[in-house]
Parts: sequence; C-alpha cells; structure tokens
Amino acid sequence: MNRIIITLVIAFFTTTFFAQSTFDKFDGRDEVTAIIVNKKMFDLMGKVKVDASDNEAQNYLNLIRKLDNLKVFTTTNVRITAEMKSTAESYTKTAGLEELMRVNDNGQNIRILVKSGATEEKIKELLMFIEGGNKGNQTVLMSLTGDFSLNEIPILTDKMRIPGGDILKKNTKNKQ
Amino acid sequence: MKMFLGISMFFSLLLVSCSDGPSLQKYFVENTENANFISLDISPSILKVDKAKLSVEQNEALQSFDKINILAFKVNATNRVQFEMEREKVVAILKDKKYQQLMKFGSGKEGASISCLGSDDHIEEFVLFANKKDSGFAIVRVLGKDMNPNNFMTMISALKSANIDLEQLKPLQQLIK
Repeated sequence: MNRIIITLVIAFFTTTFFAQSTFDKFDGRDEVTAIIVNKKMFDLMGKVKVDASDNEAQNYLNLIRKLDNLKVFTTTNVRITAEMKSTAESYTKTAGLEELMRVNDNGQNIRILVKSGATEEKIKELLMFIEGGNKGNQTVLMSLTGDFSLNEIPILTDKMRIPGGDILKKNTKNKQ
Repeated sequence: MKMFLGISMFFSLLLVSCSDGPSLQKYFVENTENANFISLDISPSILKVDKAKLSVEQNEALQSFDKINILAFKVNATNRVQFEMEREKVVAILKDKKYQQLMKFGSGKEGASISCLGSDDHIEEFVLFANKKDSGFAIVRVLGKDMNPNNFMTMISALKSANIDLEQLKPLQQLIK
C-alpha cells in the first residue's frame, strides 16, 4: 500500500516537473516566434486515410506516426540568441546528445545534434541550431522528438518546410 | 502512513479541482451579452450543398459536424485592460488537460493555437484560438459528434465545391473594419 502511494506521488511530481521541456521558456515571448506541434496532432494526421498506391504519402504518414513533438523557435534578438545558445549547449550535455554535423554555409552556422535510440540508425531526438546568415540574422532552434530513422529525414524535409531543411537533406543523403 | 494518505488526498483534491475547472462553454455563455464581444453561431446550413450530390463519405463527414461557435473580442481605445484580462482567462481555460493542444504558432504579441477535446476518432470539439495584441482575439469552437481527421479532410474538400452562405458571417465584418 505504502509503495503504491509513494510511486503515485513520485509519478505526479515527475510529470509536473518534466512536462515542461527545457525550451518551453522561449515560448510566449514577444521577440520569439514559436511553432509547436504536439503528439496529438501527429496522431491525428497519421490517421488520415491516403491512397494506398501513393507511396510517397504512405511513407510520410508512416513517419508522422513516429513523431512526438516538433518545436521551432526563431528570433532575431541578440540577447535571446545568446540565451538559446547556452540553453541548447547545456541541454546537449544533460540529455546526452551527439553532434551529427556542423555546417558553415554562407556565414550561417548550423549545428545538428541527435540522440540515438536503441540502434545507431534510430533517433529519439533531433536538435538543430542555426545562427546568423543572410535573412536578418535569424536564429533558429528546432527540436524534433519521436522514434524515427535518419533515412526518413529527407521525407520530412520534402513535405514540411522546416528551417534548414535543404541543408539537412543534402547532408543526410550523402551519408547513405 | 497517515502522511502518505494525506499527500494522496491532497493530490486527488487537485485532480478534482482540475476537472471542475472553468469550461469554454461557460465562458461563451457568460460573455455573449458583453459589449466587448462579438458572438456568432454558424450552423451547417451555411454550406449550401446539394445533399443529393454528396458522396456517402461526404455526407457522413457533414453529419459529424454540428455547429460552429465564434466569440471574438475587439480591442478599442477603452478596453485594453479588459482585453489582457480576458485573454489570460481564455489561455487559462485552454491550459486545462481536457483540451489537448494540437499545435501552436506565434510569439508573445500574437499567435494562434488549435486544441481538441475527445479521443482520436471521436473528437467532440476543435478549438481555434487566435490573438493579436493590437486588434483582439477570437475563439472558434467547431462542435460535433465523433469527428475524426478523415471527416475533416473530406469536409475541406467538400467546402471547396460548396456555396458558402455569407449572410451568416455578417457579424464578423465588424472585426475586420
């Protein structure tokens, strides 16, 4: 009896504390534009019936079903950029992310980090940090969680216009 | 042992208070008469579709929708403080666990979010909440029975071919003005 209660209490605490992710503090600020897509949305999208002969759409839906959360924060504010950078760095350490690649393209600094799942190919989290560049010094912090494979990323970048998608696509394709 | 019981009771109380929280329905009822708000109900009849021309699927999709309720707050020179207050209220209501947020977009100044109520294949309500600091906010509730993503998609495709009855949308013009 005691144990059950303790477990319940602990479960409660952990959910309340960890439901808030590290990056949620950037949400709702005036200088930050945030896009957040939750698991429920991916669940619903994955339920849409598509033409079985349409391979591309099928692949896309299969991937959607494996996703949990997409968060994109963009800002042009220098102070917040610095804050994002330090948050991303400390998160990288605590969450055990590994650097997949680092690209310097036209003054744009791009870092892509992943958290591997059960096998090397499986990814639990993809974190991307883009700094600088031509478009008004925009900084982008993107986090995608789920249980997907590196090979599936091009499908995603084809269908969703995520920032840095073209670079991500170019590099993941080379890897195969 | 007693302490644990106490703690668990405390938490169960929290749970109860959550489920009894304010609902959007209540909020709508409370504010329809308020001068700061514009409220609008849209029935499926807005879609002047020829039922005979619809496929079985489209008919089914149409039937899963009940109505659309819209409540909008328009900011003017005098109600800015109220706007902030009301906006906070809505945000608080939507934070309730029963509204599952699907996605969200925006910054502190403006933004939009979509939430839903119900399980995957039996969605009872979609809530769209959009706000902008300078102009106001709008809550759109799409109510129905057993709505699901498929119905939604069929509905959108049916909408393209439908004649929309613009008369019903007249009150919204005030917002755009």
